[in-house]
Amino acid sequence: MERRNSETALIPALQVLSYFIIALGAVFMAFKAGSLPASRWEPMSAGTFPQIIFFGVALLCGVAAVVEISKQGFPRTSLNIAWKRLVALKAVIINLALFIIYMAFMPIAGFIVSTFIYLTIAQLYLAPKKPITLLIAIFVAALFSAGPYYLFSEVFNIYLPRAQW
Amino acid sequence: MTDAFLIALGGVTEPYTLLLMAVATFAGIVAAAIPGFTITMAIVLTLPLTFAMPPMQGISIMLSVYVGGLSGGLFSAALLGIPGTPSSVATTFDAFPMARQGNPGKALSLGLFASFVGSIISIAVLIVAAPPLALLAVKLGPWEYFALIIFALTVIASLVGDSLIRGLIAGLIGIAIATIGPDPLMGRERFTFGFEILTAGIPFLVVLIGMYAMSQLLSELEPTKSSGQHSSGSLISGDMRPHLWQTVKDILLKPANVIRSSLLGVFIGAVPGAGSSISNLLAYDQAKRASKHPETFGKGEPQGVVASESGNSSTVGGSLIPLIALGIPGSPADAVLMAAIMVHGISIGPRLILDHPDLVYSMFIAMAIASVFMLLIGIILMRVFLRLLNVPKYIIVPVVLTCCAIGTYTLNNRLSDLYLLAGIGAVGYILKKLDYPLAPLVLGVVLGPIAETNLRRAFQTSTDWTLFFTRPISALLLTLAVVSVVYSIYSYVKQRRLMAQRLDATSN
Repeated sequence: MERRNSETALIPALQVLSYFIIALGAVFMAFKAGSLPASRWEPMSAGTFPQIIFFGVALLCGVAAVVEISKQGFPRTSLNIAWKRLVALKAVIINLALFIIYMAFMPIAGFIVSTFIYLTIAQLYLAPKKPITLLIAIFVAALFSAGPYYLFSEVFNIYLPRAQW
Repeated sequence: MTDAFLIALGGVTEPYTLLLMAVATFAGIVAAAIPGFTITMAIVLTLPLTFAMPPMQGISIMLSVYVGGLSGGLFSAALLGIPGTPSSVATTFDAFPMARQGNPGKALSLGLFASFVGSIISIAVLIVAAPPLALLAVKLGPWEYFALIIFALTVIASLVGDSLIRGLIAGLIGIAIATIGPDPLMGRERFTFGFEILTAGIPFLVVLIGMYAMSQLLSELEPTKSSGQHSSGSLISGDMRPHLWQTVKDILLKPANVIRSSLLGVFIGAVPGAGSSISNLLAYDQAKRASKHPETFGKGEPQGVVASESGNSSTVGGSLIPLIALGIPGSPADAVLMAAIMVHGISIGPRLILDHPDLVYSMFIAMAIASVFMLLIGIILMRVFLRLLNVPKYIIVPVVLTCCAIGTYTLNNRLSDLYLLAGIGAVGYILKKLDYPLAPLVLGVVLGPIAETNLRRAFQTSTDWTLFFTRPISALLLTLAVVSVVYSIYSYVKQRRLMAQRLDATSN
């Protein structure tokens, strides 16, 4: 039995792909675990437990792939559909990218500056394009960049990252 | 004994102490509502403030932070779908859907009242049963611990969502994530591949925040079906009334769930090393199994909220049992409490209750008072939190992501944790899109190291593996685990068949 169209087959196809990727990774890790040195003090070495778990993951992924394909047939989709779905997730991808850049930028620019820039850009990207949202975004960014920094440093004696310059 | 009780009552109910306790309860609730800011961290931060206080006052304040903290995770769990602390993971399953269905007030009031009842039940059990329960808990060896964890892991089978096999894969991936970094017994480095970022392992809270908070927040930015555009509206809207009377009726007229969950929480709390992160999941699981309509769980079922919140809040009473009776802390937060008592020159151990009965009674009284504060402050804060969440998504999503980054950084003051957070968040979102349930994964990360430690410890003690089946408590727990898995698979298959039949009927 095959899925009706390539639109509905996209997620199952990606799931089957994920089973293969996870299984391959798990088998690799299981062999890595097997190569961890044993200890003379304990019957179970540091690698035994993870090895069992990784082999378990690989086995389950194999079973999942076989069950899925034997029940529903190989899900047929197209790259065009996948691309369209990815484009629809533009807001998520851009925000994730902004967050990753923010994380990478924080050790250099410090918490206050990087947070201010991140919050301003992220809000302006998501907000309806009105003049008032610019003011709101800047106010919120200033409040949530300087506020937590001083709260943590003054009240809890925990210092959020400081700028390197 | 009466004198000691009266001294304790007088000490705790001084107006200044009561005021400080109210502030501490409020602080505990707020701290736990921030994802990544743990109860233990809140108690640690309170500790230096109590040095100059009399022991009774200091301990009362720290217990207030503890009690407040155990219910504070409810707010972010119900309103954002993000467990503020590991102890509120199961709360997200039903409280968040209930809030999204337009009943945020009901979700919060159910959780708060269940927390209150759970705390009160745990205090009652603590007073009556501290010595015998503590003695039972310390008799557990690594075999029983391992069996207990296996039993807890069977919860995975009931938390799998639409696909049993993907749920199990997610659970094992969680355990696998926990094996990265130093091994729990010998400290040998595993799976770091030379990356310094992985040498300390992946902290559980980073996984929790990344998997739950980031994946949930990113999902909020997906285009809505109606408009095709990402919505800029608020996350939660709907009925903001607390529905207190209805809540009281929901809980008190169906007492089996709240009593069972609370007693389970007390027992799990009494087992050193277990704690509220396990008790809320187990309580939820047992409520689902006992329900006549298990299919409603995960879709905004009130009994699910009641079970998880009473389960985690009752752990505080349980975890004090081994601390008071034997001087063994049941959780990291108890270890800080223990340190606070020792700072005042009081030795912890079996003689505590004999030498300082006033202090022990003050702990019982303080917990009861803090529970009342928790309920009252929670109800007041509820409206404030609900109003805060009427803020548009374009503000709340980036701001909460920033809070996640702060919470992650303050865990260990390590920038590398932030990179892990970003990576885990991205992976969590992908897994969520591919319909892998995240709850089993998070549960796997919590339970994996405990399972490994006890399994290896058991084999260090004796290479005879049959001990797992011949020691009575271990055998009982393993039998329960098998029954639990078989029953879960049976109900899962039955549910799928029913759904398929319904679908066939509608298509014909």
